[in-house]
Amino acid sequence: MKAVLECRELTKSFGGVDAVADLSFSIERGHIHSIIGPNGAGKTTLINLLTGIYTPTQGSIRLADRDTRGLAPYELARRGLGRTFQNLQVCMNMSAIENVMVGRHLRLNRRFIPALLRLKSVRAGDRDCRERATELMRFVGLADQIDAQPSEMSYGALKRLELARALAAEPELLFLDEPAAGLNANETHAIGVLIREVAARGVTVVLVEHDMKLVMAVSDNVLVLNYGRRLAQGTPTQVQNDPEVVSAYLGGA
Amino acid sequence: MFAEFMQYLFSGLTAGSTYALVALGFTIIYNASHIINFAQGEFLMIGGLGSVMLMQYGLPMPLAIIGAIALAVAAGILIEKLAIERAGTNDIVPLIIITIGASLFLRGGAQFFWGKSIHALPAFTGNTPIHVAGATILPQSLWVLGVGAIVVCLLAWFFKRTLIGKAMLAVSHNPNAARLVGINPRFILMLSFALAAALGAIAGAVAAPVTLTAYDVGVMLGLKGFVAAVLGGLGSPLGAVAGGLLLGIMEAFTAGYISSEYKDAVPFVIVLLVLFLMPSGLFGSRATERV
Amino acid sequence: MDWLKRIPLPRMGLIVLALVLAGAPLLFSNPYQYDVAIHVLINAMVAVGLNLLMGYAGQISLGHAGFFGLGAYVTAVLSASYGWPVYLSMPAALVVVAILAFVIARPILRLSGHYLAMATLGLGILISIVLRTEAGITGGPDGMMAPPLSIAGTDLYDERYWYALIAVLLVITVWLALNLIDSPVGRALRAVHGSEVAAEVVGVHTLGYKVLIFVVSAVLAGLAGVLTAHYAGFVTPDLANFIYSIEFVTMVVLGGMASTYGALIGALILTLLPQFLTGVDELEMMILGAILMVVVIFMPTGLVPTLGRLVPGGRR
Repeated sequence: MKAVLECRELTKSFGGVDAVADLSFSIERGHIHSIIGPNGAGKTTLINLLTGIYTPTQGSIRLADRDTRGLAPYELARRGLGRTFQNLQVCMNMSAIENVMVGRHLRLNRRFIPALLRLKSVRAGDRDCRERATELMRFVGLADQIDAQPSEMSYGALKRLELARALAAEPELLFLDEPAAGLNANETHAIGVLIREVAARGVTVVLVEHDMKLVMAVSDNVLVLNYGRRLAQGTPTQVQNDPEVVSAYLGGA
Repeated sequence: MFAEFMQYLFSGLTAGSTYALVALGFTIIYNASHIINFAQGEFLMIGGLGSVMLMQYGLPMPLAIIGAIALAVAAGILIEKLAIERAGTNDIVPLIIITIGASLFLRGGAQFFWGKSIHALPAFTGNTPIHVAGATILPQSLWVLGVGAIVVCLLAWFFKRTLIGKAMLAVSHNPNAARLVGINPRFILMLSFALAAALGAIAGAVAAPVTLTAYDVGVMLGLKGFVAAVLGGLGSPLGAVAGGLLLGIMEAFTAGYISSEYKDAVPFVIVLLVLFLMPSGLFGSRATERV
Repeated sequence: MDWLKRIPLPRMGLIVLALVLAGAPLLFSNPYQYDVAIHVLINAMVAVGLNLLMGYAGQISLGHAGFFGLGAYVTAVLSASYGWPVYLSMPAALVVVAILAFVIARPILRLSGHYLAMATLGLGILISIVLRTEAGITGGPDGMMAPPLSIAGTDLYDERYWYALIAVLLVITVWLALNLIDSPVGRALRAVHGSEVAAEVVGVHTLGYKVLIFVVSAVLAGLAGVLTAHYAGFVTPDLANFIYSIEFVTMVVLGGMASTYGALIGALILTLLPQFLTGVDELEMMILGAILMVVVIFMPTGLVPTLGRLVPGGRR
């Protein structure tokens, strides 16, 4: 199974602190991966490194066997990478469906002059975009909030909106940064179902999560971080029973 | 040659001293709230022009100056209370526009009530030039430098040694934490505006005999003071002073050695260079957004 | 009449605009009124462009009068001092403005908030200083003359023809702006305003879009300057005075950020304001300042969107 993403000796230092140190792992196509670890383990730093928001201090990241060093997030998006954010980054100045439509940006006719003159290709593209965005909003369970303003939507709804936006780009590899944060047990379960459906559509999903029930329920593969280093990697059951993992979380068995 | 150099140095330091005080005013408000007060220059204008006007109404000079400072402080507090606080937003662009509006309002008010003419405040200790190292310096320039130095020392003492000063520093570092220990950021903000206004007015009054004063004198001074603050590093008081003096000197040397016509362009070329190459300035620090 | 219902509101507005502009001259009884109207239209052009930058893309520029003045001067210099025909010097001026805007946009737009405001302010002031100082080329503080526009051999002096020309250009500008906003480019711009990081991860090159819209708005300001130069027949450095940059910003803020029609209304109100203040024009500056503060505090989205919310279906 070819790896869709591969890291070698990935390191990120801030000042004197190594947020991520000497991390090597790979993500296989078509699986649902999770990255877990205690607070401060470097999960968010890692996801920011992988999605181009931070540049590695050392080490390499290869996406579909091509080096991604120095690529900005928008360039990575062109290579099929997508993500959602822990601290919701929804565009409050646009309606819900417009947010999702933006997600489809790379697939549309983005040229300036045609847009200026409202050529047929632009109009047709926008119609198609709106239809797909509507379908995605139905998929994530927001069918009744298509024209809603984000400021009126609930936290859980906004999380699903971000997911719809990320899916609109038709990514090959999708990073979900703490999708269950702030959700109750029911909502978390619903997100888990959604994640499975996304993976069933052929997207490789990587979760960064705290919620163990969700992680164990959906993941094919779990990577455990501690102090920016890899502590363990394996199936959920393997990782759950790993004594080092247990002691890292509970502080000594 | 040397005399010429000293002459430019003195005039640069004198102008720079004024810029430094304006820059300090910006810094104090910025530290309390991250707001850039585009009306800062107007406080200077009120200090200078206000003193002249109050003297015309019959007040002796010292009282006129104190009155002008009080006027500026009142204006500052009103801006904070009626405009900034009412806006209830932390968005940069609206706040910038509000302070621009305040600046226009104050300038328009000065124009309406005090007219458009240029005035001079009498020099504090006469006009006999003093000769130092081959250059001539006006006594008033010494006043500008001296008052500037004293004010900076007083401010340093205020921030380091008094409880209120330390509270202001606390708010600039972490408003929420400050709130938790009982400091009211709104009060501190009001105090910042008052302090910045006082600083501006003092600088304006002291410089008025040298630079003359009119209703629109605040525009360029405000802008140059802001450039000085950015040059020194927005948020750093030391940077504000250093930036101000440096800016004054660079202006003077440009006027003297390169081209006197482009003297006014110096601050704006500097600000573009700083913003492009070194946005955190000489002494400032840069924060990053957490995603 | 069913096809009338299918036209979305913004497009209706375009038709209304065209009708208003066509009908307004019926109310004019002397050249002076045409002159005022022309100034409204010229300011409106700048405001529409600035609104794209500030309201939609969420950036700020306190230096657009610089592009206005630059456009005016380049066409004046080329036609008066170098003998270029006006119909060539005009587009050439736009090219110059576009180039300068493009070159400066990349470094400037990496900044944001007050740094961006300050940088654009500095740029505008530098342009006005250069215009004032290089007297050899620009005629210095007193300005210089600009030859009139020639169409089919006749020199265009008549206000009525200028009004018609600029009105047509304005309607085209508004049409183009509306198209842009309701397109992938427009949505990308609004996303940049809403959340840069979110826009980046879906593939929007945020810096590239900011540069694009900055140049577009600069060229519109330059176009307004170009038209002014040949309409008025002379240019002065005062055209680039930063108080006008502030006025343009006020027009956008007052009328409505992220509202093209709002920008038009804002331009209308602020250009006409001095007309109503004759006799108390010392109050003008105070009133301008008060307007800015009051609008931002009580109607932060601006006049047109605030009023538009009272009308069902109106939000552009």
